[in-house]
Amino acid sequence: MHHFTGDIHTTRHFLTGVDARVKLLCVLALLVMTVSCRGCVFPLLVAALSLGTCLLMGVRPRQLLLRFAEPFFIAGMVVLLKCFCSGTTPLFTIGIAGLPLTGHAEGLREGLLIASRIAGAVSVVSAVGFATPFTELMAALAWLRVPRGFIEIALFAWRYLFVLFEDAQVVYCAQKNRLGYAGYRRGLSSFGTLAGALVIKAFDNSQTVTTAMVQRGYDGTLPLLKHRPFRLAEVAAALVVVAGMGIVWKL
Amino acid sequence: MNQKIRNGFSSVSLCLCGALLFLDAAPAYAMHISEGILPFDWAALWFAVAAPFVAVGLKRLNALSRDDLSFKPLVGLMAAVVFIISCMPIPVPTAGTCSHPCGTGIAAILVGPFVSVLISSVALLIQALFLSHGGLTTLGANTVSMGVVGSFAGWFTFRTLRRAGAGLATAAFIAGILADWATYAATSGILAAGIRGNDPFWPLCLKIMVAFVPTQLPLGILEGAMTAGMVTLLQKKRPDLLAKMRVITEREVANHA
Repeated sequence: MHHFTGDIHTTRHFLTGVDARVKLLCVLALLVMTVSCRGCVFPLLVAALSLGTCLLMGVRPRQLLLRFAEPFFIAGMVVLLKCFCSGTTPLFTIGIAGLPLTGHAEGLREGLLIASRIAGAVSVVSAVGFATPFTELMAALAWLRVPRGFIEIALFAWRYLFVLFEDAQVVYCAQKNRLGYAGYRRGLSSFGTLAGALVIKAFDNSQTVTTAMVQRGYDGTLPLLKHRPFRLAEVAAALVVVAGMGIVWKL
Repeated sequence: MNQKIRNGFSSVSLCLCGALLFLDAAPAYAMHISEGILPFDWAALWFAVAAPFVAVGLKRLNALSRDDLSFKPLVGLMAAVVFIISCMPIPVPTAGTCSHPCGTGIAAILVGPFVSVLISSVALLIQALFLSHGGLTTLGANTVSMGVVGSFAGWFTFRTLRRAGAGLATAAFIAGILADWATYAATSGILAAGIRGNDPFWPLCLKIMVAFVPTQLPLGILEGAMTAGMVTLLQKKRPDLLAKMRVITEREVANHA
């Protein structure tokens, strides 16, 4: 867990006590509004509010930057792609290696709309990721009638992700210290060995884990977290947020 | 005035190109379709396309885990392996960037294409929630490209080549390559359909594919080599595991021993 969210789930903040189902429903409503929006303002407002929420929860700016590196790269690429490949009204022309490239107004506008939607949607999902532990999110998804088998596989994956991750790091360091990544051919061979070793460890662990779980009464289904009843205050607060954002979205 | 605007835009475009080159040299995990990139109707459509495959995967999982209680933990751990593999950056010499393999080719070879779809959807969900790779709204689209297309391309290629008499490593190598390339072709198509607006589909799709080529062409070969390496290691160290997964027959295990 620490690898992805730092120590944010161990510190208390104003969203710690809020029911995961309420947070998830709120986020899903905001996501639907963001991706179906036809203007840049609403997604950017969602992004600003979500980033503000992350900072208020105590998420470090560096962590946010790392989280946003990939989506922002993609957003930049989409803006460039749309600007140079879509639209009819020329806005500017540049030459790269003797090739003239013309940017178009309509393409730039569409690219910026998509980029703003990426910023809004990524921010809101990051906020719920930082605000809610994985097991609570899975229990909330089970409440939303996501199939039990899917939830169980996700819980197993999450539980052993870090064990396997550490195993992979140990194997990788051992390979690297023995010049396993000196040159592409050798690097490829080492990477294949590393991935194969992980599959073997996964298989062995699954046998050990099953034996241990059967001894503790496992019959093929994992127990999930029990939800407490909804609190009126948090449901009302969520409804106010969603309704308020809905009004802005409609405007 | 016009000249000033032109100069201004030229400077901006130069900055953009500079930024592009700068970003291109940094590790870029341009793998999954990012959160928010697809409009609502397209996102919903891809969820609808992915849902039957995930449902069949779940049905197979439940059927197999009734016979063998360790199957669910194994699939969960395979999902963790796919997650880790798809988080490992691999340097791509032609593009000067880092990208990462999909891992669904090997998952499909080991546990079959439908369960592999389930594995990739779980890995994608965790990546969306905690790494912002992919997203919740694009989970359906990414499951279709990486899970459905990648898994079926890898599994079908591997089975066909094995039936044609190809060696385990050769079949795994080609299956790994095709699974990766098929994933990126599907990603290009889905992305082009989602962002094209009023533009025609094919030119934009081709442009996106061309943009992927410098990274994905060599990466596919790297993924093929990785898949072959994995299968070869499993054959050497744990042929029983490959036999259990029905990748090789008991007779081949005996021959190998």
